[in-house]
Order: sequence, then structure tokens, then C-alpha cells
Amino acid sequence: MSWPGSWINWLGPVRTATGGVLRHKVQAVAIGLVVLVSTASATLGLTLLAASNTPFQHAFGAQDGAHVTVTVNAARASAAELAATRHLGGVTAAAGPFAESVVQTQFQGQPFGQMTLAGRGSPAGPVDDVVLNAGHWADGPGQVVLDGSPGGGGPGLGSTITVTGVPGTPVLTVVGFGNSVTSTADGWVTPGEITRLQPPGGPPSAQMLYRFSHAASYGEVRADVTEVSTALPPGAVTGVASWLAAENQATSNGAIMEPFVLAFALIGLAMAVLIVGNVVSGAVVAGYQRIGVLKSVGLTPAQVVVAYLSRVGWPALAGCLAGVVAGNLLAIPVLNNSAGAYGVGSQQVPWWASVVAPAGMFALVLLAGFGPALRAGRLSAAEAIAAGRAPRAGRGYAAHRLAARLRVPRPAGLGLAAPFARPARTAVTLAAIAFGATAVIFAFGLNSSLSRAAASQTLSATIPVQVEQFGPGIGPGQMPSAAQDAAVTAALRAQPGTRHEVAVYGNEVKVAGLAGNVFARAFGGDAAWTGYGIIAGRWYDAPGEVDVNTAFLDQSGLAVGDTVTVSTGTAQVTVRIAGEVFAPSSEPRMFGSTQTLPGLATPANLREYDVALRPGVSAAGYVQAVNAALGGRSPWQATAQHDGGKFYSIASGLVGLLAIMVAVAAGLGVLNTVLMTTRDRVHDLGVFKALGMRPGQVLTMVVCWIAGPAVVAAAIAAPAAIALNTATVHAMAGTAHTGIPASFTQVFPPSRLALLSLAAVAIAVAGALLPASWAARARPAVALHAE
Amino acid sequence: MQQGALIRLDGVTKTYQAGAPPALADLSLDVATGEVAAVMGPSGSGKSTLLNLVAGLDRPTSGTITVAGRRIDSLSESALARFRARHVGIIFQFFNLLDDLTVQDNVLLPAQLAGASRRTARARAGELLERMGIERHRDDYPARLSGGQRQRVAIARALVNSPELLLADEPTGALDTATGLAIGRLLQQLNADGQTLVLVTHDPALAERYAARTVRLLDGRLAAEVPA
Repeated sequence: MSWPGSWINWLGPVRTATGGVLRHKVQAVAIGLVVLVSTASATLGLTLLAASNTPFQHAFGAQDGAHVTVTVNAARASAAELAATRHLGGVTAAAGPFAESVVQTQFQGQPFGQMTLAGRGSPAGPVDDVVLNAGHWADGPGQVVLDGSPGGGGPGLGSTITVTGVPGTPVLTVVGFGNSVTSTADGWVTPGEITRLQPPGGPPSAQMLYRFSHAASYGEVRADVTEVSTALPPGAVTGVASWLAAENQATSNGAIMEPFVLAFALIGLAMAVLIVGNVVSGAVVAGYQRIGVLKSVGLTPAQVVVAYLSRVGWPALAGCLAGVVAGNLLAIPVLNNSAGAYGVGSQQVPWWASVVAPAGMFALVLLAGFGPALRAGRLSAAEAIAAGRAPRAGRGYAAHRLAARLRVPRPAGLGLAAPFARPARTAVTLAAIAFGATAVIFAFGLNSSLSRAAASQTLSATIPVQVEQFGPGIGPGQMPSAAQDAAVTAALRAQPGTRHEVAVYGNEVKVAGLAGNVFARAFGGDAAWTGYGIIAGRWYDAPGEVDVNTAFLDQSGLAVGDTVTVSTGTAQVTVRIAGEVFAPSSEPRMFGSTQTLPGLATPANLREYDVALRPGVSAAGYVQAVNAALGGRSPWQATAQHDGGKFYSIASGLVGLLAIMVAVAAGLGVLNTVLMTTRDRVHDLGVFKALGMRPGQVLTMVVCWIAGPAVVAAAIAAPAAIALNTATVHAMAGTAHTGIPASFTQVFPPSRLALLSLAAVAIAVAGALLPASWAARARPAVALHAE
Repeated sequence: MQQGALIRLDGVTKTYQAGAPPALADLSLDVATGEVAAVMGPSGSGKSTLLNLVAGLDRPTSGTITVAGRRIDSLSESALARFRARHVGIIFQFFNLLDDLTVQDNVLLPAQLAGASRRTARARAGELLERMGIERHRDDYPARLSGGQRQRVAIARALVNSPELLLADEPTGALDTATGLAIGRLLQQLNADGQTLVLVTHDPALAERYAARTVRLLDGRLAAEVPA
């Protein structure tokens, strides 16, 4: 007999034995479902890991980012001269010239800041391919596409933005949102629109976007810029933006994101492995009785192993394939969020994640099934039948004995004792619930920590209103007059809603022992109320004291309590460091009073006025009243501060989404475990029902099967989530070059932690309810004969 | 129809699959209070189906079933469970004891499910274990008992809620002859104390020895009713 024929003969009984797949629909569906969810989680986890790996560099390559954006005075360089720069030696690609205008804007009647608008007929091009996130590209007058994403309290699609300081104060309708990887503009309009948006008297401006063969370092970029500048008439280049600055910013955001993305990805992967291992090995064990029968009719051990691996293999294969599709679909909203947080246009599921996740999960299924299948192959027929019928005798008896004496309803006692009959399965289920609950508690904690960080960074709670210089009465290079400054103080003091107000000056100072300059903020009055987060020490409260940020201490080697000499340009003073404040930056920062830092309080250094409001005063109403008092031509304008930065809101959204996914996966893991246990104990369920157990009592008992492990999981998840949150927040802060106030991680008061710990019970009960309902509805006669 | 019937089946049909022959076909039957009725017939004749329907473990496709004065064919699942707990005790051929509960906990279980007080349930269980002669095994697990002892535990469990009706499905089928005779005598004593009993059996000797009436089923229909 030839080999193929033998092989077919050998496989024949295996095929017959495996034919049970379709007849065991519930088990096949359970395996398929859990593998689907796990593969989807794994695909997403791997995708997130890939997305967190140099996202800017990937996006920069994919979007042909501009190494250099050169702003030119279009009156000094002709179109032909600009076009000629495309052929310079180091230039590999160029786009432009795109006419641009820097304008002041308002949104919903409030100052919206200064925006650089560029006129581009299309988002695509050889350099700076703008990814359109929403809406469409501007194709007519009065339309604008904004850099970024809609939402977050800012303009959305269809919103209007008013351009002030331009004749006719044109109104632009937001028709789209796009992302330029190096943020070459804040918004794009049609090329013809720019003329209408030019402030009167200003020179016409245009931007050229270049890619160079060598632009990896600041030195190379400087050489590239020199090459372009010298090719153009003198004075034509008015501004240069290097891709390295954008890379720094994006890398910093990405690095902050990485710790929690990594934490969620690892939780998801670990849970997927646990759940799949649990369900698959359980399914093979559940088939032991059938294995015994098959052996008794002549199947060899090898045939048994192959039969049972293929029995779990087919539904698992279907689950893997469906899971990779689901993972790709789920990744779309998650990647949109992460792309926003990383500041890149878009991110894709890497091809290898769509291969590694299903292949790895399938291998895991076979591995998880192989052990029990091998054991089944070695068992005698009689042993296999006995092993498949019930959990090992003796297990859980003591627990039942104890539960019988508990003063709880009997069905609850029976349920609480049940997990002890299958300790391995219980341990794995407990771990899955603990992972899910940890993710949920961690997500809430991280969200609170991020909110505190955002509030502390923007100081929106303590400084709800700021008065800044971007009113219509100021042009480029102009400075408000002393009278205009005095008018601000008068207007603020005249408002009954003002609780505190302080003028803030800022300039660079020299600090002994630190190379380079240190940016110092000097407050022209009491500023203890501004609410900077204190990491160590205290806020300065006497002349001669200052506070500094973490970067200052790290770079100077000084500590809180040390003294240091500061040169402000007009004076040299010795100051004592009273405290370390939360001011995330890689650059050193100093905070003190104008009395401590003499020479800073000059009109040229006046940056803003910070305002605190009396309780109950509306920030929006206050801002309107102050701006009305300042008049329409004042260079100063009051604005209401918003809660958090874009990064924090996107990061919070991503945290929530990931937590929900992990919790759902954990719930499905519980569902499958309870389903398997229900099938294991279907005969006992029939007996219980025959003895008078009501459907409600069955439901209670089955839910209680999982309640005990859930409580233990909650007890594990709570401290694990606290530790994970603390480590993650510290890691995030470390990448942002800052320490953190202790309050950022103290986000779990006991009552809140107790409430959040219920997440474990909620995940368990939600997962158990469906199989518990099936068990409750099953007819006793059917259950009794379903063994 | 008999006066004072504890069980009354009226035109009961049970079909498991559409198109397939019914397991029970238009069966009408009464069992009087205090009677011992044996149900006999070959495999597939509908004996177990009849027992399941009378116990409220399953529902008829058509017809009505009244037990202890209640129409059970139209009860909800919860009401059926309450009915089973209070009015029916079931003894299975293979005992169906719960392996992970002690003898005493097995016996206590129906009382606890029915909401009996702890003290009352324990007293009743103790009394029954003593009556069945297995009190010294109260803390043992079923796996350590002989077949006869297990069946005595099952009988004690069936009786713990003092049901009006005791249903026994091949109660001696898994026992040796001597043990089977002992269990038979125990059932006879119970009946002498007023317990209504329905025995499903293959064993003509058991039916003849203990039943006042034998109902023979064939292909789901009543083939004969034979008084003792």
C-alpha cells in the first residue's frame, strides 16, 4: 500500500471522530468566540505596541514630511527664483510656494489665537502629504481645513471662525480637519483665499516645503537652510521651521503615552493567553468521555490526539480568522485616537500584527490542547470515560462541607464551594477577572491622574481667566503701551467677580552652574493662589525665595533648600529654592516674585495677567465684561481657560477605550468558563432541579460559582492597579522630564477603591449571567439525560 | 375515574420531535392517594416519560396533568420547582446523589431549597437517616457507601419534605437481589404508613410483590391495567 493511501486510512477514523465539531455547537462556538476575542485583543495589543514605536518617524516617512518649512517674503523673491530652489543640490523634493497669512481669529466670539493659514489646492503633494481626518479639502471661498481633529470643545465640522484684523473680518467655515506631520500650517484655504486674508500693510508671504538628502541633525538642517537662503535674494527668507522641532514635540508626547499603552497591551495579551489556554484545555477534558468511547472502538492514542486537536482546531481557526478581521476593525478608532495623541496623521495596523496574532493564537490553542489530548491518548478507555464524567473525586468536598454550614441560602453556598472542584480552572479564571478588573481600576486611576496633571499644567481650576496679548490692537513686533497695560489692571480690579489678579512677567535669566538660559516667571504680587502643583518643598512666600521645576534641579544638581545665584540682566541676586513645582519641560524653569527677581518687571516682559474668580462667577460672563471694559482696540484680551490640553483629552479617551476592551475580553473569558462548568455539571443541575431548585436559585448558584473568585480577584486587582498606576504615572512623568506631586497618584480614596473593586464582581457577574440563564431555563428532564 | 385521585392524567401526549411517533399518546390515568402503582413496559414504551411528566420534570405536548389537586402542566418553571420540592419525592435507579456532599447534606438539600428552617430540616433528616438505618454514615460521602446504602440515602432525601407522592424509577435496578428485596420492603413500609408510590420497573416480581395495581405501557399507550 502506498504511503498516501495509508495516511488516508489512518485519517479516516480521525475524521469520523472529529465529525463531532458540528454536533457540539455550543463548545465549538465557545472556543471560536474566545479565540476570536483573544486574537482581536492580541492584534490590537501588537498594533498598539507597534504604534508606540517611533510613530512620528513612521508618519514622517508615510506623509513625506517636510524637513524644512521656509517662509519667504514673496515681494523679495519671485516665483521663478523660488522654483529654482527645487533643483538645489541637497533638495530631493519640494512643494510650494504656497501663499500664507498669519491672522488673529475668534471662535464663538472668543479669541481663538493666532493662526498661520496656507493656500493649498490639494492636501497631497511631493512634500507634506496632509492626511484628511474628517470632512473635505477646501474647494471654494470661505472654507478652511484645520490642522488636527474635531471635538474637544474646539471647532467642529461646520463651525465658523472669524478672522479679525483683516478688512471685512471674513468668516471661514470649517470644512475639514487634516494633519500635517510637521504642522506646516494651522489651517489651509484655497490659494485664491489668501489675498482676502492678508492683514493690511503686511508684506505678502509664502511657504516652501523641502525634503533634503541629509537632514538628520540640527547641523545638517542648518546647512540645508543656508543653501536655500543663499539661493534667494537677501532678506527673502523670513522664517524657518525644522522637522526636528516637530519630532521633539511628537516624540515627547509619544514617550508619555508609551507606558500606559504598553501596560494595556501587555494586560490584553496576557489575558488572551490565559483565557484561550483555559477554554481549550477545558474543552478537551470535557471530551474525555467521548475519547474513552472512541478508544474502546479501536482508535489509537495518536489518532485520539489528532482527533481532539482537530476538534478544537477548526473552531479555533475560524476564531483566529474572524479575530484578525475584528482586531483590524477595532484598531481603527483606537489608532485614530493614538494618532491624535502622537500628533501624527494616521496609523495603520502593521501587516505582521495581522499574521503574528492569529498564528500565535492558533499555536497557543494547539499547545493548550496538546497536553490534555496527549493525556487522553495515554489513558485507558475506562479511565478516559471516568475522567471525563466528573472533576477528580475528593476535590472541593471540604469546601462544600464548610459552605453547608454557612448562614447563606443553600444555592449560594453550593455555588461558592463549586470552584474548589476545579482549582486550576478557577485559578486561571480568577487571573482573567483580576486582569480585567486591574485594567478598569487602572483606567479610572490613570484618568484621574491625567486630569490632575492636566489641571495642574493648565491651572484652569485656579486661574480660570487669563488676559493675554492677542487682541486686534496689536501687530507683529508691536508692544502694548503703558497706558494699555494700566487699563488691564484697572479693568480687572473694577470687576466685582475678581478674587485675585496678578501680572506675570517672563524672561530668560542666567543661573550660576547651569549652561544656557533659564526661563523665569516673575509674579507682580501674591501668586500662592495660582495653584502650581508642589512636588517637594513649598510655594515661595518670602523675598529671596523661588520655586523651580524638576528639569532645573536635575540639570543643576541642586535640591530644595539650596541657594543659587541668578543674573536677571540688570541685577545679580542669591535666591533660596523653596520648592519644586510641576511644570513639565525639558528646559529649566524658575518662578518667583518681581521683588525677588529684580529687572524682570518691565513692560517688554509682561506676558499675561492671571485671574481667579469669586465663587459662582461665570468665566465666560467675566471674560465678556473685561473685554467690553478694555474696548475693541486693546491689544489685551481676556480668555477663559479650558480644562485640559488636547493631549490629555485624547489620552483619556484612549485609556477608556482600552479599559473597556480588556474588561469585555475578561467578561467573555468568564462566560466561557461558566459555560464549560455548566456543561461539566449539567447532570448535577438536573438533580438539583429534580429536588426542587427553582430557576432563580439556579441563577444564584451559577453566579456564585464565579462570585468567590471575583472577590479574590478584586482583592488582587485593587493593589495591583494602584501599583500599576503609580508606576505608569511616574514613567510618564519621567519621559516628560518632571517629577509629580504625590496627589497625582493618590487618586484612590478607600471608598472609591472599594467601589472600583466591584468592577471584578461586575465583570464576573456579567460574564456568568448568560450561561447562568441557560442553566436556569434548562428543563430538568433534559439536564438529567444530557450527561 | 377514581375518587380521591392523587395523580390524574387526562389525554396526555408527549412528542419529543415533530413528525416522530409520540413517547406518550393520549394517555389517561389516575393514581389514588395511598396507592402503590407500578408502571411497566419494554424500553421505549414511555415509562420514564410518564414519570418525568408526573414529577413535573418535563411538560406534556397536550393533555392535562393534575397532582395533589394542582394542574402542573400549566405551571411556570419556578412554580413547578416549588411543586416538586413540596409534593414529590423522586428515587432514581442510579441514586443521583451529589458526590461532593455528605450523606446528611444530600438529605438536607431539598428541605433547604424549599426554605425549611435549619433546625426543622436537621431534625427531619436525622429522623429519616435513623429510619433508613444509615445514621452512622451521616458524615460520609456517597462514594464510600454500598449501592443499598446509597439508595437508602436517596429515599431519605426523597422523603425529607414529606411529599404526598413518591416516584421511584427502577429503584432496585442497580442493586443485587438481596439489597433490592430490602429496599422493596422499605418502600412497602412507607406505603403502609400512607405514602402514595409510583414504581417504574422492568421487574414483574417487584411489581407483583409491592404494587396494588400494575399499568402496562406499549408504544406510549396504555396496554393494560392489572390489579394485584
